[in-house]
Amino acid sequence: MEKETRLFEPGLFYVQAATLFRRIASLIHTAAARRASLIIHAMHERLSFHIKRNSALHRLNPLTKLTLVLGLVLISFLSPWYWTPHALLLIVIIPLSFVGKVNREFFRAFLRLILPAASFLFFMQAFFQPVGGTVIFKIWFLDITKESLLFAFRNAMRIAVMVSSFTLFLLTTHPSELMSDLTRRGLPGQFAYVIISTLQILPQMQAKAQTIIAAQRSRGLDTQSSFLRRMGSLGPLVGPLVFGSLVEVEERAIAIEARGFTSTQIKTSLYEISDTSLDRTIRWILILLVIITLLLKLWLS
Amino acid sequence: MRETAMQRQKTGSWLNIGSNFNTMTWVLIPVAIAINIAIGQIVVLLKLPVFLDSIGTVLVAVICGPWAGALTGALSNTIWGLAIDPNALPWWPVAFFIGLVAGLCANAGLFKSWWKVVVTGFLVALTAATISTPIAVYLFGGITASGSSFITAYLLQTGQGVLQAVFSTSFLVEPVDKITTCMLAFAIVQGLSKRFLARFPRPENVEAEGGANQTQLYIAVGVVVLLVLFAAFVLRNVLGG
Repeated sequence: MEKETRLFEPGLFYVQAATLFRRIASLIHTAAARRASLIIHAMHERLSFHIKRNSALHRLNPLTKLTLVLGLVLISFLSPWYWTPHALLLIVIIPLSFVGKVNREFFRAFLRLILPAASFLFFMQAFFQPVGGTVIFKIWFLDITKESLLFAFRNAMRIAVMVSSFTLFLLTTHPSELMSDLTRRGLPGQFAYVIISTLQILPQMQAKAQTIIAAQRSRGLDTQSSFLRRMGSLGPLVGPLVFGSLVEVEERAIAIEARGFTSTQIKTSLYEISDTSLDRTIRWILILLVIITLLLKLWLS
Repeated sequence: MRETAMQRQKTGSWLNIGSNFNTMTWVLIPVAIAINIAIGQIVVLLKLPVFLDSIGTVLVAVICGPWAGALTGALSNTIWGLAIDPNALPWWPVAFFIGLVAGLCANAGLFKSWWKVVVTGFLVALTAATISTPIAVYLFGGITASGSSFITAYLLQTGQGVLQAVFSTSFLVEPVDKITTCMLAFAIVQGLSKRFLARFPRPENVEAEGGANQTQLYIAVGVVVLLVLFAAFVLRNVLGG
């Protein structure tokens, strides 16, 4: 009897310990899963920038906003005057972010995405552009001239105008809103499918890539040492990712085929997207402005 | 889906754009764009000196047709530019032509064995260098935000013209990248089942010839290594002289 209890008690201890351990493990697991879902969520947020607010900019027709963006980009690249991109950024784009009530998100994107890209381009060009004669200073074989600085500054501002106007557009327009409006105007539904579907698949794919990298590393895959080893580890990373995602293609094709994807009948839309006379006026004004800029450029040069 | 067999007989001219697109193509394109971007990021993580950001484009171009590949490339660069790196945005014509040329090469039967794939990769690289040169020169004045601009800068300082400097830089950088891309795409296609491939518009593009075996792979790798050495030799000569 005594012997039995002695045998039993450590057993009970082990059972309790195991339960406790399992509970802790499950807690850690939930925490990890929550963090992973947060990361995926953050990625998803990053791809569809859209922020739902009620503002004049949000209420504009998506095509009007797209015309605005393309118009701003074309004007900043075609304009014959040096300060046009700088002025566009300060006078048009930043005030528009306040009109759209997305100024805080816009500035965050500006700091994180646009500023690094623009300043990298600025430094590359300022150092390596071999134009001009007014040398300001000299490092090794590189001349920093006044002309190259000005040139780099304008190019960086053009890139900044391009990206910040697109950011503003993505912040105030939901992708599916734009796509349903364009489909209504005659864009084939397949294009809309490709764009919307890419925006959904991309975060999933990036998460899958992270999982594959972690799994292969835990099996001992070398991702950090010599060049040949890293080149060799490309296969075990690319293979599972590509074959895994290609498997889903066929099922998805059958699924959307069954829902009338290739049907040529005119489809009705659940959402009504407004297109007012104000929208049409803005679009025409922008097209005129672009044409005027082009003519000025041709005339002045 | 049953149309594919009929479509295959109709695909005479490469200008027949519609024949590139069936439901499978439309579903493959988003996946290919995501593959482009995900592999591009894996390569950055592994710190390899190549981009490999057009494997999905080449894949679509080969099994669906040149125009589907071109569309994939253009959309891929646009989405990459808007979501991840703004400097990628102006280069969408390059990706467009990569898809187009890879598809045309595949239509001409240049995607059926390892050494032919190397030829395809070389032609794609030549196209990419040709298309990217005017963009780099007229939009950026020759110096772009890519790391290879260091070589361009050096060539410019040695007194070469902007056009020559940019073109010779991309001609040094592109072949290795594009040949590796095409070889990886070929390896992926070889791993797919015939039943799966038959659902796409142009499965006949990748029917492997008798000799898609190990020896050919080694010959192809050897050719690539020789090309790399040749590029390094040219680079040393250019920099030395």
